[in-house]
Amino acid sequence: MNILVILKQVPDLVEELEINDDGTDLDRTWMRYIPSEYDEHALEQAILLKEEHGGTVTALCLRIGEVDDTLFTAAARGADRLVRIEGDFEGISSRDAAAVYADHIRRGNYDLVLTGVQAHDDLNGPVGARLAAQLEIPYVGVVSGMHLDPETGVIHLHKEYPGGLLTVIRTELPAVVGIQSAVKPPRYVPIAKIRQASKSAEIGEETAEPQSLTPGYTVRRVFKPEGGGRAEIIDGAPEDIAARLVSIFSEHGLVR
Amino acid sequence: MNGTDIGRSTLIGMPPWAIVLFYVLTAAALAIFTWGIVRLVRKYRMGRRAAGRRPAASELLRTFFRAIGNVTVLRDDLYAGIAHLLVLSGFVVLFIGTLIVLVDRDILRFVLPSLVFWEGDFYLGFSTFMDVFGVILLAGLLMLAVRRAFSRLPQLDYRHSFREEVSRRSMAAGDWVFLGLIFFIVIGGFALEAVRLVAVRPEFEVWSPVGWWASDILRSAGMDAGEASSWYPVFWWTHSAASLAFVAYVPWSKAVHMLLAYVSLAWKDETQNASLPAPPENEAGGYTAPTDLTWLELVGLDACIRCGRCHVRCPSSLAGMPLSPRDVILELRNHANNTLLHLRGNGNGLHRMTGDVIPEQTLWSCISCSNCATHCPVGINHVPLMVQMRRALVSDGSVDEQLQQTLVNLQRCGNAMGQSDRMRAKWTKELPFKIRDARREDVEYLWFVGDNASYDPRVQGYTRITAKLFEAAGLDFGILYEAERNAGNDVRRVGEEGLFEMLAEKNIRAFAKSRFRTIVTTDPHSYNTLKNEYPAFGAEYPVIHYTELLAALIENGHLLPVRRVGGRVTYQDPCYLARYNGLENTPRTLLDYAGVELVEMKRRGRDAWCCGAGGGRLWMEDIPAKDERPAEQRIREAAALDGVDTIVTACPKDLVMFTDAIKNVGLEGKFFVRDIAHYVWEAIEQPIPEHLEKEA
Ligand code: SF4
Ligand code: SF4
Repeated sequence: MNILVILKQVPDLVEELEINDDGTDLDRTWMRYIPSEYDEHALEQAILLKEEHGGTVTALCLRIGEVDDTLFTAAARGADRLVRIEGDFEGISSRDAAAVYADHIRRGNYDLVLTGVQAHDDLNGPVGARLAAQLEIPYVGVVSGMHLDPETGVIHLHKEYPGGLLTVIRTELPAVVGIQSAVKPPRYVPIAKIRQASKSAEIGEETAEPQSLTPGYTVRRVFKPEGGGRAEIIDGAPEDIAARLVSIFSEHGLVR
Repeated sequence: MNGTDIGRSTLIGMPPWAIVLFYVLTAAALAIFTWGIVRLVRKYRMGRRAAGRRPAASELLRTFFRAIGNVTVLRDDLYAGIAHLLVLSGFVVLFIGTLIVLVDRDILRFVLPSLVFWEGDFYLGFSTFMDVFGVILLAGLLMLAVRRAFSRLPQLDYRHSFREEVSRRSMAAGDWVFLGLIFFIVIGGFALEAVRLVAVRPEFEVWSPVGWWASDILRSAGMDAGEASSWYPVFWWTHSAASLAFVAYVPWSKAVHMLLAYVSLAWKDETQNASLPAPPENEAGGYTAPTDLTWLELVGLDACIRCGRCHVRCPSSLAGMPLSPRDVILELRNHANNTLLHLRGNGNGLHRMTGDVIPEQTLWSCISCSNCATHCPVGINHVPLMVQMRRALVSDGSVDEQLQQTLVNLQRCGNAMGQSDRMRAKWTKELPFKIRDARREDVEYLWFVGDNASYDPRVQGYTRITAKLFEAAGLDFGILYEAERNAGNDVRRVGEEGLFEMLAEKNIRAFAKSRFRTIVTTDPHSYNTLKNEYPAFGAEYPVIHYTELLAALIENGHLLPVRRVGGRVTYQDPCYLARYNGLENTPRTLLDYAGVELVEMKRRGRDAWCCGAGGGRLWMEDIPAKDERPAEQRIREAAALDGVDTIVTACPKDLVMFTDAIKNVGLEGKFFVRDIAHYVWEAIEQPIPEHLEKEA
């Protein structure tokens, strides 16, 4: 069983997001990236499968920001191979990224590709579906549990639907699966293990030229929604907020 | 009567076979004793080497006198201390007396008869002395027995805190065997003496007052010399057998504490709680098996006499969480014996030490307040043990979700709140002046503000007051702005050693880039690690707490408290100031300078009751507790003081905990928590600016 996990770096929302001068993208100069949460679930699911059935897990990352830490963390979690693809990928769409991944996968020998169901910086259709289309293999997304039969190469995937329905989907390998959540939430990886991995694990390097597929699309404008009318954001300690509310109410004669 | 007539021979009138039998039994008792000791030493040798410390001869001697003087036993419990002192001195004197007789009768008499000394005036004085100490020993035993039988002291309540199914009957029975055996030996000794003095009655034996008096009773009860002589062997054998049995019994029972407590105390590393030991060099980087413990820790487990002093001082235990330091020690001891003595090997196959023997929830309940270790009379350091086991849990990734999030926050942003590091100094924006950036300008004091004081809106008001105080005093100070990271004190105590090192390295790099002379901290937790743990990572700077700095500024006239603020308050000793670093008086002096009346709580200074935030507990999900949480209990204690409506703190974590606790006990608006800086500020007659007043 060879599993590939695709890890994507997304902007850390803890930081104030800045928009670039053209107003067409985020200003990525000082951007801090973190691994996408769904991808971390995909990795955890891969490790769980490996723990159960053996095999190898490969973690793949496009070079967006600093990715080595993310890869070493994956190794500390239990990934056996680390791959970093170099190239000009900043702000790449999931569609163009899928082509790069597909290229890597064709050259490899993978039974299962796991990826997060989506990433919060590109809600343009999941990369997994696009990837599966290019590879012409099945895709199932929004998966939150799975059961693998390594003998037959058949995998059963659990998926939740609105309205409280659960389904089990059966597919044959190879396949691409978009993970909503792993069976168990990702475990904490202590720094000591990451540091150890950064000393012992090796990152395989590849390069790729991202192509813009045509017909494509361009982002015309990125902006923060303008505050509607006279909204006032009150922040501070709860006491201050309460005091301010009271004073506003009394200003308007609502309370005396 | 001349001197050589006074004295007696032992083993009088015994047939040779009996004398031989006696020596055989003695040899057997000594053999069992030695076997027991060898077995223990072998077990301890399976532990790790304790890093570094080897006490000097002078220290060994000092500990010896402290042990003989019962210092650690008397310290916190006068009744038990006195009783123990009586037993111990009686025991030691009788033991030495027995040795003297042994040397004189069984060695000198045969080898160098001219040197025999157990006769004449010495014999008389000796007899009296032994009798008196026999009585002292009995008195001590009686005090202890009464306490055990009739008092309902919580420290003697053996109910298990996290394994309810465990019966402690045999343990309690063992205590009585220990008491009873000594009691039996001493009473038997007196009875033997009395019977002998009925049988042969030389006048000089009035110098054995107790025996003489008891023999009078026997005589008036009708025993004559002949009868006494025939009873004598029975008493003699009983007494001898009991004494020999005791010798054999020592290394197999809690009596062994008389040897082990001394080792544990003499080798104890007093600094170990404030500056935690490094992880063991195993795969987990923490304790997963008894063989990971140091030999000294293994000795400590056996030295525990289950006095329960730790048990009744553990805030988590008293809040009804599944933890008691006593039970942790006893479980570990059990496990170490089961695996090291009976199975050999590290015994991991059966139960995991970390997780099964000591459940995870037990380990996570500890708030590293160190109240246990501070009061343990046999010198056990519980905190490093707890942390070493936590390290193993962290290494496995077994942390709760909230803690995991916090640790990830600390990795990514360097603060526990998960806020941007660029926002760390945002609190300064509301100040009417700019605080210097210590990375760019030389300053005398580098103010290490800490996470809570920087980010928590409940604390920021006080942080600004502290800043204004420094400014008003004309202090040459600066901060690190976004380069400051969480100091890592609690990260280390959570057991995430790698993250602690990473944070420390980042801070130390920022220190190296700055020019300053002294570090001043707001948070006692930062204070502890910067002062006691960073030096091992190469950062040796003088570190002081802001209360120390404020006191110094007042003392050399830079701040002038011109106003008596008034009011009655009580003061919360932060664990990491008082217990860990002995800083008790300075904050109180500040209150004095400010003209505030201080009413003390009963548990203060090194006895202070923790607010429950330490050791990373502030970052974890709640563990079900049967009783009120530590902070709430503390607020009730403070609020019960006559005329006191405020608890003053010198720790941002206290502020946070108590703010919530006041709400939870329903005292909001009636009882307050304030930082000590508030009073200094008022005393130097600076009206609190309106926008700060609200926050403060
Ligand atoms: S650990 Fe120390 S304080 Fe606690 S019960 Fe044992 S001897 Fe007493
Ligand atoms: S450090 Fe405090 S909370 Fe932890 S076991 Fe000791 S007394 Fe209990």
